[in-house]
Amino acid sequence: MNGTPLIRLANVSKVYPLESGDFTALNHISLDISEGEFVALMGPSGSGKSTMMNQLGILDVPTTGEIYVAGKNIASMTNLERTHMRRDVIGYVFQKFYLIPLLSAYENVEYPLILKYKKRDTTGRAAAVLKSVGFDQEMSAHRPNQLSGGQQQRVAIARALVNDPKIILCDEPTGNLDRKTGFQIMDILVGLHKEGKTVILVTHDPKIAEYAHRTIQLEDGKVVES
Amino acid sequence: MKDIFFDLSVRSVRLNFLRSLLASIGIVIGVVAISSMGMLGTNMQLIVKDQLTTGINTIAITPDVVRAEPGASVSSNTGITDIQLREIRDAAGINEVIPIDRTNTQFSIGSNDGRGSIYGLDPADIKNIMNVSEGSTIRGEGEAIVGATIANRFNLKIGTRIKIGEPNISVTRPVVRVVGILSSVGLSSSNGINSDNAIIVSDTWYSNQFGGENVYDQVNVNLKDVSTLTEVENAIDKKVNRNKEVVRISDSSSRITSVSSTLSSLTTFILAIGSISLLVAATSIFNVMMMSVSERVQEIGILLSIGTEKGEIRRMFLYEAFILGIIGAVIGGIMSVIIGYSVVSAMIGNTSYFFLPESLVYIPAGMLIGMIVCIVSGLYPAWRASNMDPIDALRNE
Repeated sequence: MNGTPLIRLANVSKVYPLESGDFTALNHISLDISEGEFVALMGPSGSGKSTMMNQLGILDVPTTGEIYVAGKNIASMTNLERTHMRRDVIGYVFQKFYLIPLLSAYENVEYPLILKYKKRDTTGRAAAVLKSVGFDQEMSAHRPNQLSGGQQQRVAIARALVNDPKIILCDEPTGNLDRKTGFQIMDILVGLHKEGKTVILVTHDPKIAEYAHRTIQLEDGKVVES
Repeated sequence: MKDIFFDLSVRSVRLNFLRSLLASIGIVIGVVAISSMGMLGTNMQLIVKDQLTTGINTIAITPDVVRAEPGASVSSNTGITDIQLREIRDAAGINEVIPIDRTNTQFSIGSNDGRGSIYGLDPADIKNIMNVSEGSTIRGEGEAIVGATIANRFNLKIGTRIKIGEPNISVTRPVVRVVGILSSVGLSSSNGINSDNAIIVSDTWYSNQFGGENVYDQVNVNLKDVSTLTEVENAIDKKVNRNKEVVRISDSSSRITSVSSTLSSLTTFILAIGSISLLVAATSIFNVMMMSVSERVQEIGILLSIGTEKGEIRRMFLYEAFILGIIGAVIGGIMSVIIGYSVVSAMIGNTSYFFLPESLVYIPAGMLIGMIVCIVSGLYPAWRASNMDPIDALRNE
């Protein structure tokens, strides 16, 4: 962990033009997240959590200001470069799991490897990552609709991990799970953080946020506590 | 390499099996329409062309228009001479050479007068080139066979006597006896003789009455193989018209060219009708692809957000169109053979040309066109899918 942070937001604003006037979702935000941090992003609905999430996940570009991820300015990248960055640097874990319904659990995890190496996985990496989240071969053959919520989220985490990203970005990862399953998922994330991943967690649940080492509180598009 | 995007497309097609099948049926119909229509047209063309070539295998050689130098007298002998005939025979090789005498004259049957052509032909040739429908062919002097029109007009029977020549009180006109009546040929005469309105007599009888022994008004060459037409014409021209144009060589090959071009525009027209069904198929493929895209918006959002390239998304949907196209084209191709064969046999009644390459080529052509139509119909849906905003797409339920 040297001087340059893994993620740097410099005076970032995101404005959505609406018929009723412009809506400022993010209002001049500046913050740094260093490699190896476990950050919880909190705030009431409408505070800009999701917008922030999209910015950090390189799914969107800010209206003004600059975002640097792993030292690169997002705004100056081409669409394809951003796509490759999403594939290689960031792992996404969504509230609704967002597995690909047509693919089995194994294929869902193998998918990012295929995107990266343009060929099917022969290294056993996908199976190994699935095993680390408690999936055996038999369960890996199931389609997402044959799995419980907790199982689906494990597969989603495995998918996020398979390309060995620096950042794990979780959007309400326990939002669709019961408390017990939710804590199991959180235990996996804690383990990942211990292995050196930078984990960013969006949640409105204070109990979940407690797992993090740093909490960023958003309100009306501004950071009120960091 | 097994492409995961291809896998995804296959699974999407399988998941929406009925919908995909219906879209493919559109392509099947299109392919069948294009190829059977094409085959129908081509078979028609081939048959008509073949029928026509039996009519154009005749080269007619006639004496050239006589042009005398000013002051010189115009030779009265304007026929093809025996020497020229021999040259023609040499040049014609294996092909049949038929010298013909011909004139126009008046004749009388009982009290009825008429006018028509009289042909003098070698009885051996008559047997070969004339189609006698009633009676027999000429065997001796004073016998004649008559064309269908003339026979009908004058109510000629076997045995009827015809006086040949202008009525003249001071001269007894020669008489021929009808021994045979020819079947009607119309314009499709295959031997260069318009025999419907003719009285045909033996060459010796003709020379006795009209003179001109060893001089002929026309020489026909009947080709064994119509493709040697130009070759034989050139050979005759070189041999007979050595120093100057003495004979004119003509054929009716221009007729086949014009009929062929008419038929080929007819085929194009039929094909255009067939294409309409492909247009309908294209709409249905487009519709299915758009449905597939809009049903999978969230899935597209997931794929895009975890780092799938636009080109890969496009590929996935183009594969899907391609799969629908392959299914449609293969089924369509198989059905084209069956339906095309039935259509040709029902509408033309002759399937002997069906399995020729010129006809069968419409099956792969129709399949290819079907596939292309499918992929083109998938272009826009694929482009739309790949250009979605991942955030909006993810939010879509």
